[in-house]
Amino acid sequence: MNNDWRLETCHSEPSEKSPISSPQSPIPTMLSLHIQKQFPAFSLDISLDAPQEKIIVLFGASGAGKSLTLAAIAGFIAPDAGRIALNERVLYDAARHVNLAPQARRIGMVRQDLALFPHLTAAQNIAYGIRAPRATQEKRVRELLTLVNLEAFGARKPHELSGGQQQRVALARALAIEPALLLLDEPFSALDLPTRVELRGELKTLQRALRRSMLFVTHDLGEAVLLADEMAIVENGRVLQFATPHEILRTPVNARVAQTVGVKNILPASVIDANTLRVGEINLQADTRMFAPHARVVLCMRPERVMLIRPDSPSVERVNTLEGDVVAEESDGDTVMLRFRANGARLQPTRDFDLYIDTPVYVYERLNLAREKHWRVSLKPNAMHLVRE
Amino acid sequence: MNRISFFVLTGLFLFFLTLPLLALVLRALPLGADAWFSANTLAALQLSLVTATFSTFLAFGIGTPVAYLLARENFFGKQIVDTLIDLPMVLPPAVAGIALLMTFGRRGLLGPTLSFFGIELPFTTAAVVLAQTFVAAPFYVRSAKAGFGAVDRKLEQMSALLGVSNLETFFRITFALAAPSLVSGLLMTWARALGEFGATILFAGNFPGRTQTMPLAIYTGLESNLDSALALALILVVISFGILFAVRAASPKGIVLR
Repeated sequence: MNNDWRLETCHSEPSEKSPISSPQSPIPTMLSLHIQKQFPAFSLDISLDAPQEKIIVLFGASGAGKSLTLAAIAGFIAPDAGRIALNERVLYDAARHVNLAPQARRIGMVRQDLALFPHLTAAQNIAYGIRAPRATQEKRVRELLTLVNLEAFGARKPHELSGGQQQRVALARALAIEPALLLLDEPFSALDLPTRVELRGELKTLQRALRRSMLFVTHDLGEAVLLADEMAIVENGRVLQFATPHEILRTPVNARVAQTVGVKNILPASVIDANTLRVGEINLQADTRMFAPHARVVLCMRPERVMLIRPDSPSVERVNTLEGDVVAEESDGDTVMLRFRANGARLQPTRDFDLYIDTPVYVYERLNLAREKHWRVSLKPNAMHLVRE
Repeated sequence: MNRISFFVLTGLFLFFLTLPLLALVLRALPLGADAWFSANTLAALQLSLVTATFSTFLAFGIGTPVAYLLARENFFGKQIVDTLIDLPMVLPPAVAGIALLMTFGRRGLLGPTLSFFGIELPFTTAAVVLAQTFVAAPFYVRSAKAGFGAVDRKLEQMSALLGVSNLETFFRITFALAAPSLVSGLLMTWARALGEFGATILFAGNFPGRTQTMPLAIYTGLESNLDSALALALILVVISFGILFAVRAASPKGIVLR
């Protein structure tokens, strides 16, 4: 069988700018964060320029340095070097020996463990940071309780509230000081799924209504993509990529980012010519114009973007098709994750399968995948993303 | 061993504990007004209440910063400081009394200096307070240290982030949350001060109305006025029981800290 395909069309234009770049945005910079800090077994080196009035998500595994970054922004730890500015206001500048106390930073924070004051009622917690005459303070607290749908619960102590309600109190308390930036450190991680979904929705609505700048930390990809206007992939104390979720999911800058954001098919490849890529034993049609011939690259392809075609379907002209079998599968209830092994020439000759293919359960059922294991797959060039090795 | 035998053993122990108290109550209750309200009894009662309260205030004043420091900071020699502070709790009070005498007595370490300023401490009411504080303050420091240590520092960080100064944070968050431990520590200190005997009799002597606190009056009464001693003994039992009961009620376990 001939495994050599020709490129038909290519819509994506070659990009001039470097792959790591902050998104082009007309909105002025809200947070300018450039800090380094050395720990005995860890180094933090975070660089980020985030636009105003957006939800910025720091996404990464636990231990990546996300919470340390928030602690530095809040002023709980001092970096060794660098600069933090919030709306042009310098919070920290190693060179000029500026290091504002947390009290002077005007930053709100909600964290997973909430840190509500246990001896104060919900209303007293919210009122805690409000510096105003009593009447004004009470009015503000009422407004904030209404804002987070807790009108009836102001007199309760934190331990008399449900997890979701406590979370709302923490949010209202943080908003009470009119923060220039709201830090949210995995605020929903400890909650059950329905409450989490509900609160994510509420937070997004609230953000749109209040137009407050938020920096949200999570290790949950779904949550990150759902909430983020722009997201930073953080690993090992570094920002690997900062862009819109769409851009990151579609065009991760390297294999690490790809892996982090759920690109399961990450295959070593080499460039043959401007539109041919060799993966394993197979030549594929691909836009390789960003790379020199013979360059070693990595092919990234999301598992849900591999197209399944019935082997007996009328032979419409398809590109990059392989024939083979589904050799393994598992399901998390929503999605069935298949492993596909090509017959003959292979993409990954050293492994016992070639591709991960994700398919929604209803598609799995409609295609009768439980019975039929023999398929053709098509790797469309616009679903393939190449990064440097 | 089954459950019953545990109950039987517990019963035996309780019997052993309560029988002497019962004997005391049986002897003291029928006493007439002259035992309960004799000048001697009232003087000892008043002196005890006043000195124990003073000692407790003193322990609070000097013990609070110490407890906070020990709960929050790490420094060289912290273990030794910790041990030193606990020492008076296990030291025989007589040792404490003699040590105080060697310090503040006329021929003690600081005696000549104090004399120069016209201060004579031994065998005064002030000496009673010093002796009680020396012996009882560690109870407060211990409890307060545990109380401060149990306050989540994240709460203080959060308070700071909400714009509240460190001093105000200390009072509104740290002190407020540690309060139950501080109170139970103060109660224990007061109770211990009230019962102080050995250090007091050595360092302050046994002068009615001036340094003769209740335990000293009981000791003296055994020889001269048993009825008065019995009355004072019963009063001490009742007060001590009340204090311990109050400490249980005020203990941080009854308060949700998270």
